[in-house]
Amino acid sequence: MQRIPVSSKKPVGIIIAVLCVGAATAFGIHVAHEDSAHPSSDSGIIDAEVVHIASVVGGRIKTLNVSVNQRVHKGDVLYQIDPEPYELTLRQAKANLDLANAEVENQTRLLSVKTSNAATAGDQVSRAQTNRDLAARTVERLQPLAGKSYIPWQQYDQARVALHDAEISLAQSRIQSTAATTAIGDLKSSIAARDASQAAYDRVRYELRQTTVIAPADGYVTSLRVKVGEVLAPSQSLFTLIADNEWYAMANIREGDLEAVGVGDCVTVHSMIDRNTPIRGHVESIGWGVLSVDSSGIARSLPLVPRQMDWVHVAQRFPVRIQLEKTNPLLLRLGATATVEVRHGAACP
Amino acid sequence: MGGCTLRGAPAFPIMGAYFPGWMACALIGVATAVGLRVLFLLTGLDALLSFRLFTYVALGVIAALTVWTLVFGP
Repeated sequence: MQRIPVSSKKPVGIIIAVLCVGAATAFGIHVAHEDSAHPSSDSGIIDAEVVHIASVVGGRIKTLNVSVNQRVHKGDVLYQIDPEPYELTLRQAKANLDLANAEVENQTRLLSVKTSNAATAGDQVSRAQTNRDLAARTVERLQPLAGKSYIPWQQYDQARVALHDAEISLAQSRIQSTAATTAIGDLKSSIAARDASQAAYDRVRYELRQTTVIAPADGYVTSLRVKVGEVLAPSQSLFTLIADNEWYAMANIREGDLEAVGVGDCVTVHSMIDRNTPIRGHVESIGWGVLSVDSSGIARSLPLVPRQMDWVHVAQRFPVRIQLEKTNPLLLRLGATATVEVRHGAACP
Repeated sequence: MGGCTLRGAPAFPIMGAYFPGWMACALIGVATAVGLRVLFLLTGLDALLSFRLFTYVALGVIAALTVWTLVFGP
């Protein structure tokens, strides 16, 4: 092969070379601009919401109606914890409630007795008052007679003693009346005790209801690896339910391209389970924060600043959440790789 | 265009790993540059050119970007 020196100056060749390089540069700038204006990511993930299925009460699993990877519908009974301990506690709480109710009735009767007693004591006061008034009038009448010796002094003396007695009786009956009125009291304590028993009863009834666990949403059962007989602590999760009503794709988009991503923008998503079927979606939200190594460190402590000299900084990426429209359910598995094309691609004409 | 039939995810699975679409475009660009060089040598067009390295690289870049625009572009 003959070597042709590069420096051979042929005007046609130079023009062709300049045209080609110029066209490639312009085209490259154009494509870079287009790429930036229509961000895409090939490291997306198919995502869905999950529920860690657990009961707030503990106990032994009595029936287990689901198996792993099974599809369940909202409201289906998933499993039941042995309700017997809770039924027994419910009976106990019911008995306590009955007892408290009976105590309220008892106190009501006692209250009416005490009210009657107070009324009686009040009557006693008025009787003592009448007696005292009579004794006072007697002394008043006898005093002039005794002064002029129309009656024996002894009789006047007896009348004065009788008045003194009557005054003491009046004072005593007044004290007794006050005490009887104070002793009436009210039903507050017994009613409060009944309310407490009612609340305890309702709580146990709620716990008994919680022994049956129902599906909170349509979805798929995952991570179920136990059988009937397993003993669960309260709030211990038995398996994870992947909610099937909404599916999402999470894609990390570089911060410099985020201004080209708007909430509601059409997105083409390809689940790599079948890379030929586009899934249409729209941008639902863009993450507001990611944990950065430079900002890590314990709160309240001093900032952690590594000693280093960076000249090239890799762009931060933020997760963009894309809500997917209905599609073939076989393409949607949580964690599947997905490619994401914002405002272009097969699903966004 | 022909690109429409290639529509799919902009990533290609090869032996369990996903390769990005732009990598395929770059390979096509290289192949195009080599192919054009052979073609131009056979037709004698090569003799007209100067700065051949830049010219062929530019032609390969144009080919790669064209494929990218047609297949993956907006």
